[in-house]
Amino acid sequence: MNLSVSLPLRQGGQLTLRNPVMTASGTFGYGTEYAKLVDVERLGAVVSKATTLRPREGNPQPRIAETPSGMLNTIGLQNIGVRALVKEKAPIWARWSVPVIVNVAGESVDEYARIAEILEGTPGVAGLELNISCPNVSAGKIPFGVDKNAAAAVTAAVRSVSSLPIITKLTPNVTDVVEIAEAVVDAGADAVSLINTLLGMAIDVRTRRPVLSTVTGGLSGPAVRPVALRMVYQVAKAVEVPVIGIGGISCAEDALQFLMAGATAVEVGTASFANPMAAIEIVDGLERFMLQEGVDDISEIIGVAQ
Amino acid sequence: MRHVTVEVLANVEIMPGVFLLRLDAPEIVEHARSGQFLHVHSGWALDPLLRRPLSLHRIGRERSARVAGTSEIGGGQPSLVFGRPNPGEIEILFARVGRGTTLLAQSMPGDALSVIGPLGNGFSIEPKTRNLLLVAGGLGIAPLVALADEAIRREMTVTLLAGARSKDGILPAGLLPPEVEYVVCTDDGSQGRHGVVTQLVPELLDWADQVFACGPRAMIEALACLRLPTSKTVQVSLEERMACGVGACLGCVTPTRKGLQRVCRDGPVFNLKELQLL
Ligand SMILES: Cc1cc2nc3c(=O)[nH]c(=O)nc-3n(C[C@H](O)[C@H](O)[C@H](O)COP(=O)(O)OP(=O)(O)OC[C@H]3O[C@@H](n4cnc5c(N)ncnc54)[C@H](O)[C@@H]3O)c2cc1C
Ligand SMILES: Cc1cc2nc3c(=O)[nH]c(=O)nc-3n(C[C@H](O)[C@H](O)[C@H](O)COP(=O)(O)O)c2cc1C
Ligand code: FES
Repeated sequence: MNLSVSLPLRQGGQLTLRNPVMTASGTFGYGTEYAKLVDVERLGAVVSKATTLRPREGNPQPRIAETPSGMLNTIGLQNIGVRALVKEKAPIWARWSVPVIVNVAGESVDEYARIAEILEGTPGVAGLELNISCPNVSAGKIPFGVDKNAAAAVTAAVRSVSSLPIITKLTPNVTDVVEIAEAVVDAGADAVSLINTLLGMAIDVRTRRPVLSTVTGGLSGPAVRPVALRMVYQVAKAVEVPVIGIGGISCAEDALQFLMAGATAVEVGTASFANPMAAIEIVDGLERFMLQEGVDDISEIIGVAQ
Repeated sequence: MRHVTVEVLANVEIMPGVFLLRLDAPEIVEHARSGQFLHVHSGWALDPLLRRPLSLHRIGRERSARVAGTSEIGGGQPSLVFGRPNPGEIEILFARVGRGTTLLAQSMPGDALSVIGPLGNGFSIEPKTRNLLLVAGGLGIAPLVALADEAIRREMTVTLLAGARSKDGILPAGLLPPEVEYVVCTDDGSQGRHGVVTQLVPELLDWADQVFACGPRAMIEALACLRLPTSKTVQVSLEERMACGVGACLGCVTPTRKGLQRVCRDGPVFNLKELQLL
């Protein structure tokens, strides 16, 4: 039985994952925080918390609010900055056999490229996931990911300086996600991942104020899964490159839905907060499903629902 | 840090809306210290989604400890003996405030709970300390009782100042180790002294080698305003909303002189002087 999947790369070669289950950025830290509870080596890949060029403090409290079968967050990209990441985290990852993909966030196209340059050739870094849901400071803080030209520009800029696998991560807060997906693929993305969080908010009726310090935040968890699945299905139909499905995945059946919709791999995010073993249990569940259904190779079920 | 399923041994409403939950959790006890917490999920499936952080209220260590500080409660129900839990058992003291704790309040003996723990840094008693002053606001008393147990086991002297809005929020003295000097005050004067708990701190400062506090933000801020002598370290246990509980999501950070720190991993216990309170 074969659970491994590979993402073919533009520049030749491929990124091979021992199984299609990855952790989602921002929900699994640098992979080290959960190490006492979860054997990271059983994962397909780990995606790190977003890195920016310089360290960032993020947003004030409150940063999280629970919502029906989900949560809102406004962490605000708090992170140690790419140089500390290269110095402190990458050496740990270099000792792991599981690939670690670094999630990259910037305030300008140049900043994404600068970060990619710094990460180039760093042992322990197996790929880049471009978080284009960040505000574009030179365009009135409109996120790169809602404008196909800006999304493509970020992807192309990173492509021109990086030899690493590039996964562009799409935001769902758009009218036509397929249009953005096609633009980033044309700009050189090896794969696309989706969805990032959905813009939402909550109000505390006792204080009569928004719960989150920034008023709005990103919705994640099981509540977003049907929206995510729909978008993955649409994008997988339209693009030739591998699609990585993200959004509310918390059990093997959820993951199977995304694979059948056309995802080559999935990322597990918020579910890990409730159950740190969620991703590993999904790997086991996929294996069980394949045994029961007589599936020899996981690739047999990718996109079967298309 | 372990991720285990534990059995509920007892769950009793000991004060209006406040529950004492006893768990059979030897894997947790083994590594636990006072000031640490459990991240609890009652198998309530996908909604509510997140775990709830709850302090270790009592940690069952050696069997002999059982003799002191026990008390019979439980009105119409079969009488339950509370006090120091048996070896391998943990007690949680929690208030029913929202959806998660309402579900937890319904748990019955024999039910299973998923817990991650023990989490966080915990309190630390310095080697030379003889006298501990504990300052509790409301349910902030929960982690301080585990600390009192530890101090008494190490033959130290403990004074526990407990404040609440009214007598309904005061933990019965019978549930504390008898060696503890227990001073109560209420906002409405319905039990103990009339007023806030922090007003009692200055007169005990000379006596105390170390001060430990847990309670609402307003209480911690009031403590910070007392201008305590710099020779006294004050350890406070903070609360913040949490998702992961293990330091991965950065949902729970609090500003300190060392920059942003994670309440779940770098805390929940911080040196009062290090905190940047607003
Ligand atoms: C380290 C730590 C130790 C704690 N120890 C205790 C204890 O021993 N006894 C006790 O009664 N309470 C304790 N609390 C507070 C307890 O976690 C909350 O009362 C509880 O999470 C409320 O959940 P709910 O579903 O009933 O409320 P809801 O309001 O429905 O919860 C909604 C969300 O907000 C979060 N939340 C609400 N209030 C708090 C709060 N005060 N602190 C952190 N998160 C909150 C919940 O976890 C949940 O994610 C502790 C909190 C922390 C951070
Ligand atoms: C607390 C938190 C932090 C996140 N941080 C990032 C991040 O740094 N970069 C990013 O691309 N996505 C981030 N995300 C989005 C997730 O990676 C994921 O796309 C989203 O949560 C949907 O998946 P889920 O429902 O499985 O969580 C974050 C999500 C959460 C809940
Ligand atoms: S709750 Fe996730 S870092 Fe503290």
